[in-house]
Amino acid sequence: MPDQSTLKQLVLGRKDVQDLSDEEHALPPDLMTVNMGPSHPAMHGTVRIVLTVDGEKIVKGDVQPGYLHRCFEKESEHATYTQVFPYTDRLNYVSPMINNCGWAMAVEKVLGIYGKVPKRAEYIRVIVSEMSRMTDHLTCIGASAMELGAFTAFLYFLKAREWLYELLETVSGARLTHSYVRVGGVSKDLPAGFDASLTNCLERIDGVIAEVEGLLNNNKIFYDRMSGIGAMTKADAIASGCVGPIARACGVDYDVRRDYPYSVYPELEFDVPVGTSGDCLDRYLVRVEELKQCIRILRQCLKQIPAGPIMIDDHRVALPPKTDAYNTIESMIRHFKHIMDGIRVPAGEAYAFVEGGNGELGFFIVADGTGRPYKAYCRSPSFVHLSTSEQLIKGHLIADVVPIFGMINMIGGECDK
Amino acid sequence: MSDQVTLTIDGHQVSVPKGTNVLEAAKLVGIDISAFCYHPGLPVVAQCRQCLVSVEKNPKLQPSCQQTCGEGMVVHTTDAQSTLARKQQLEFTLVNHPIDCPICDKAGECTLQKLYFDHDNANSRVDTPKVHKAKVVDLGPHIVLDQERCILCSRCIRVCDEVAGQHQLEFAHRGDHELLTTAPGEQLDNAYSLNTVDVCPVGALTAKDYRFTMRAWELDATPSVCTGCSTGCNIEIHHKNGRAWRLIPRHNADVNKYWMCDEGRFTYHDLRVERLASATVDGLPAGWDRAIAQAAKRLGVFLKDPAQIGVVLSAVHNNEDNFALARLAREWKVGHVFVAGKPPVPARADGRLKTADVNPNTAGVKAIAEALGLSTRPAYELEGTLGSLRALVTLGDVLPGAPTGKLKELELISISAHERGAVPHAKVALPSAAWAECAGTITNAKGMVQRQHAAFAPPGQAIAGWEAVVRLAHATGVKLPWVHARDVFKEMIGQVPAWKDLTWPREARPLALRFAGSRG
Repeated sequence: MPDQSTLKQLVLGRKDVQDLSDEEHALPPDLMTVNMGPSHPAMHGTVRIVLTVDGEKIVKGDVQPGYLHRCFEKESEHATYTQVFPYTDRLNYVSPMINNCGWAMAVEKVLGIYGKVPKRAEYIRVIVSEMSRMTDHLTCIGASAMELGAFTAFLYFLKAREWLYELLETVSGARLTHSYVRVGGVSKDLPAGFDASLTNCLERIDGVIAEVEGLLNNNKIFYDRMSGIGAMTKADAIASGCVGPIARACGVDYDVRRDYPYSVYPELEFDVPVGTSGDCLDRYLVRVEELKQCIRILRQCLKQIPAGPIMIDDHRVALPPKTDAYNTIESMIRHFKHIMDGIRVPAGEAYAFVEGGNGELGFFIVADGTGRPYKAYCRSPSFVHLSTSEQLIKGHLIADVVPIFGMINMIGGECDK
Repeated sequence: MSDQVTLTIDGHQVSVPKGTNVLEAAKLVGIDISAFCYHPGLPVVAQCRQCLVSVEKNPKLQPSCQQTCGEGMVVHTTDAQSTLARKQQLEFTLVNHPIDCPICDKAGECTLQKLYFDHDNANSRVDTPKVHKAKVVDLGPHIVLDQERCILCSRCIRVCDEVAGQHQLEFAHRGDHELLTTAPGEQLDNAYSLNTVDVCPVGALTAKDYRFTMRAWELDATPSVCTGCSTGCNIEIHHKNGRAWRLIPRHNADVNKYWMCDEGRFTYHDLRVERLASATVDGLPAGWDRAIAQAAKRLGVFLKDPAQIGVVLSAVHNNEDNFALARLAREWKVGHVFVAGKPPVPARADGRLKTADVNPNTAGVKAIAEALGLSTRPAYELEGTLGSLRALVTLGDVLPGAPTGKLKELELISISAHERGAVPHAKVALPSAAWAECAGTITNAKGMVQRQHAAFAPPGQAIAGWEAVVRLAHATGVKLPWVHARDVFKEMIGQVPAWKDLTWPREARPLALRFAGSRG
């Protein structure tokens, strides 16, 4: 006859709590491996983190990107310089206009027409870039707040983002993947009444930002979840190549728009917010301030934008007007060659970089004299930032992965290329 | 006296044989001087004036195609004078050119498009209506002319004169109204007429066979060799998605120069006609395994007394296929070896490119059989031997001199790309790749072994002919240790003394014409 506890195990297949020995009663002392992602609501885009946890505490986080790899660089070698624009849309798909501008600038540099783009086109590029930067920050802050439970902030910011998307749609024809910028200018002029609608939109967004700041800035829960979480030192940020809001939150006073000015940014007045502690709260605060600076830049642009052409008058890069293409053989051939063979870029190489939503976004091109890049490379800020995330989440609780990841704002399309 | 002259072109020193023209010399240092009427394979006429360059100590611009290189000559191709001359010349050329690019077959590989984009790229300054001419002129059996598109370079006239030896095209009228036409009562019907389409720098001459079928930039080009006759003209197969759309001659100074005959150009149609795509046993489709097992079983009965077996090599198939089958025949110690081929067409031979022998590999089969010590007989002697034969293994579908009734009594095993000729009577038919679908070599009448590259995959279950032979050999207990056409080739050149120094050229990857830029 077995003893009672063995009998119970045999009959019920389990032990009761009181039957456990002291050793069995304790939490298992060994580490556990948990998969976070690749399909997880808080894993923006698709990225997988293999977490090794000691209870709730993260001992190791193996970050595995690449699920959204689309061979951007290799595909670009097979596309004409103009056909690459739709691919850049899909890099940081929350701020595609900035990617468009970066690519156009790189090609213009090799062509030797950098800085010769008409003034109006440059202003339009800045306007759409800053609008894109706003959509980027609105999404980042809104989504992160939502993941911490603040759904209202998310809805308010996405409402504001939608106003911007609608405006960008009137400019480019597409809500998200604009493909609007061209080498040597932009594809079409701003629509009639754009000035008024943007002014109106900015006013309303001003209100929304104030509203959300009221909801979040002095919110105890939000503050506790963000402050001191995922902090990075200034030295670490520089050593790992961080840029943009992440680096600025750590106290790195660097903004491409101010330090390596391009386009018409030298003619515009704006401040570069810089944080001190480098934690999630500072990243949030930097982004909110940047939103306000974007509005400031946009208002100046609307005042200063001149009338004039939106495309450079250079037959090497500019498509002829449609009426000419249909009615003269010269323009017809030019149109055909531009579309089929691509803009012929002389052999050479160039690196052009812009301040993207997440920081310095660079394109490096090697041209071989044909209509397609011999080599294209994209320096994507998200990829650099993601590489620091393992260090940032180490030692925190599982729940802290969410705000850290949200504030790093890794965009799958840009990170995985 | 040296045979070389040294001159300077745009600061580059270049040494060329005496008599070379400046245009060719410039090519050597990577300078592409534009030209419409100049063609390296044709006499120089210097009438398009597109290749004008400045020569120092010469007050007038010189056409670089006609200007022979002189010792110490200093040539400029990028100075203001010659650049302007080229630009203005293009403007004149375009004055009456129709706005046809979207519907023109030449678009994408058009010299006029290329040169305009390279050298002029300016807007039109013409505000008078264009001179209109005939758009669709039926010049002959293969070619349609658009007189509006013609830029009067006379390349086509010279091609007819030089390549075919027949003066069938001529210019008529003058000035703006000058146009290309056939001589009175003539037709553009010579045997080399389609070369005019290749050399036409614009879309004036278009091939009826190709026009409006496929855009040039969509195509991939794979180098190959024409199988139309024993000349072995070097060609490019232009194909897309597993289908050939046209054959274009490829330059080979020793064989065909820049040309090929019209008949050879149409051989690609046969790649899609009456194809054997599945192995068959007794006329019904079967998988490879069953077909090979059946073939081995039916042959096995006679292998003990191989005098009853006959093997037919094919002058249509490449060296590798024939070598594989010849090797197998030797292993089996068969009683009879034949060589089949299409009957000669004596009327074809013209002393230019076309020969009477319409089989591409007659010389190759002969060399292989000799090297392997097989005594062969032509296939039309087959009928007299049929009485003593019980089984026959054939390569290819051509089997002259074998009456159908007799064939049906044999255990006939055919390895063929097409289901015609003797193949429908085969007890076992094994599908093989056609010439454009497999790697291999063929030997032309001069004994030159030339490489064919696989442009696309064969249809259905078809595999390379030599591979089918290997499978058949294994099933009958003969080991042929080849896994690639290169292996067959390597063993073959070890056996055929004349070929011992040959090498197997690397596989050519298809060249996407869209990346080739304008080939003009």
